[in-house]
Amino acid sequence: MLEFLSRLEILLNPTVLGQVIVNGISLSAIYILVALGFTLLFGIMRVVNFAHGEFAMLGAFAFYHLTKDLNWPWMIALPAGVIGVAAASLVLEWLVFRWFYQRMFESMIGLLGLNMMLIYGGVLLWDTHERNIPAASQEVLMVGDIIIPIDRLIVVVIALAALSAFYLFIRHTRAGLAMRAAAQDVETAETQGVDTRYIYKVAFFVAILLAALAGSLWGQIYAVSPHLGERPLMMAFIVVILGGMGSIPGAALGGALLGFTESIVGTAFGAAASAFLSFGVVIVLLVFRPWGILGTPEN
Amino acid sequence: MQSRIWIEGAATREVQHMSFELMKSLRAGLIGGVVFAASSFAVLAQETLKIGGLGPLSGGGTSWGLAAQRGMDLAINDLNAAGGITAGGKTYKLELVFYDDLYSAQGGKAAAERLVHQDKIKYIVGPVGSPPALAAISVTNPAKVIALTNGYAPGVLKNDTPDPYNFRLYNTNLEFGPPIIKWIRESLKDIKKIGLLAPNDAVGQAVAKPLAEDYKKEGFEVILDFFERGTKEFTPLILRMMAQKVDAFEFDGNSPGDAGLMLKQIRQAGFRGKVFQVGGPAVDEIIEIAGPASEGFMTYDFVDWDMPKAKLLREAYQAKYGKGIISPFMPAFYHGVYLMAEAIKRADSIETDKVRSALENIDGFDIGIYGPVKWIGKETYGVNRQLMMQYFFSEVKGGKIVKIKKFTP
Repeated sequence: MLEFLSRLEILLNPTVLGQVIVNGISLSAIYILVALGFTLLFGIMRVVNFAHGEFAMLGAFAFYHLTKDLNWPWMIALPAGVIGVAAASLVLEWLVFRWFYQRMFESMIGLLGLNMMLIYGGVLLWDTHERNIPAASQEVLMVGDIIIPIDRLIVVVIALAALSAFYLFIRHTRAGLAMRAAAQDVETAETQGVDTRYIYKVAFFVAILLAALAGSLWGQIYAVSPHLGERPLMMAFIVVILGGMGSIPGAALGGALLGFTESIVGTAFGAAASAFLSFGVVIVLLVFRPWGILGTPEN
Repeated sequence: MQSRIWIEGAATREVQHMSFELMKSLRAGLIGGVVFAASSFAVLAQETLKIGGLGPLSGGGTSWGLAAQRGMDLAINDLNAAGGITAGGKTYKLELVFYDDLYSAQGGKAAAERLVHQDKIKYIVGPVGSPPALAAISVTNPAKVIALTNGYAPGVLKNDTPDPYNFRLYNTNLEFGPPIIKWIRESLKDIKKIGLLAPNDAVGQAVAKPLAEDYKKEGFEVILDFFERGTKEFTPLILRMMAQKVDAFEFDGNSPGDAGLMLKQIRQAGFRGKVFQVGGPAVDEIIEIAGPASEGFMTYDFVDWDMPKAKLLREAYQAKYGKGIISPFMPAFYHGVYLMAEAIKRADSIETDKVRSALENIDGFDIGIYGPVKWIGKETYGVNRQLMMQYFFSEVKGGKIVKIKKFTP
């Protein structure tokens, strides 16, 4: 008990607490971004995209080559790489994904295969060592004794902007309305004139765009390798199970919960306690509320 | 084509390369038929001796396995180009058979069984990590197969095997840890408290705990914390250690990817003290990942790329595999094949009992990469099967690796 209290005491230090909050926000921003596209594909097409992390990896490599090899400024390289990967991925949508729409269990196996192909395609193409994308800024912002790395701040701003743009797209555009309709009931949406094949393509493009953006930022903060996608995929799973499969507000809530849990519990009690708690909560949730915090139960 | 490789897992680039080489050979043969026929006859006249290789070719350890495989491939190419190896009046052309050990005990055992029982191989270099190495030697020792393994776990050498045929290919933290830590205490006197971060698995525990003890023996206070493999965000752990006022961070046997990220995040968290890694030499990869944050980083290192043979090896590697970062496993496994070949030559036989005796007496052997090597380990492991080679403590200065202290066996 004394040990427990002494570990909690670390968080009473204002500098540490401030740093923990800053870190929690930055982690949450990344996790939300990773999970958004994943939950979108499930919500609309009922596809469990096991290859989601690999689109993040492709986004990171595109960003890496544009900044390192072509010396493009990151503000141009980031959108160019992300859009390029999302556009090129439409080929995979046509070749692979479209066969699995509304076929959840088949999609798991099929896309797990695609996941392996993309990882080891990456190994053959890029080798396995990890690479560094130059940080958007090496500077740090000092607020009292709290240190905020500028590159983390940029990630938070970009993630918030992407989340807002995505929300506006879903709520206030005809395509967004059609996506929501298709997510609720595909057949009814089709009888009302929604071109679901077109809507699926748009949803796929947006989901991969978000994954590639998440991967680019992930790669810049951490490192780039063909195995980059494994961790984001796991995080996306935890986030969407916490928040509710297919729920966009749920992804935001799940990302924030996971980010802050990791920061607070990890700092006070270590990484093992943080992982234990995160997965423990997921198991409890799956038992008592399998549709997640903000999800809706399947009929 | 001087070596043939059986590929498991991801490394099919070699297959493409070999196909290309084969096409070139055939084309050359069509143009100069007589020359081709003569040279083919010469190759056929040689017998083949298969050398087994084990390492991870899939999953998170792929870079280590690929480096091991490439090191062995280059060594076998060099030895074959020099005419192969002669023993018992026969000249042997070497051939590599390399399997994926999945960096796991199960994978290591399965791959070793395949090499030993299916391919009938008597000489193996690898595996890279402790879990597959411990499993592999349970297959190789009863079959009297010589295995030059890596794996820092003491159990790789210190076990109940009555008449072992396995050796360890290079220094572990039990050998290089105490002298480097002593040097740190004598040279960096302001450091009293060390924060040690380690992965929470068998390998991490096997490396970090003895290292923490070594630091304590030298009078340091140590805070040891573990994280789950695959973690990318170390800031909470770093903050936790900074709140406990550590003077320096130590990365022990962490993989280069993890160590590079930790270094970057330590500097971003505002820590300005010393950061070391008395373990896992991979400073090039760490510099690549941490970028400017790697300045001042100090690490154990055992490859001196300025040595003549090392320079040639680097050039050969870059010519074949491109100018990417070279893992230290590459020269280590290159060296392993040369050790095995030298022992076979000295034994003048391919019987493993004779080759093992020759290997046991190979002290002083030097191929120009690591300087003269010798076996130690009787006191620590009960057997003189631990190869000891020169090593360094290096520091990153101006983005370059500067050797600040050399240790000789």
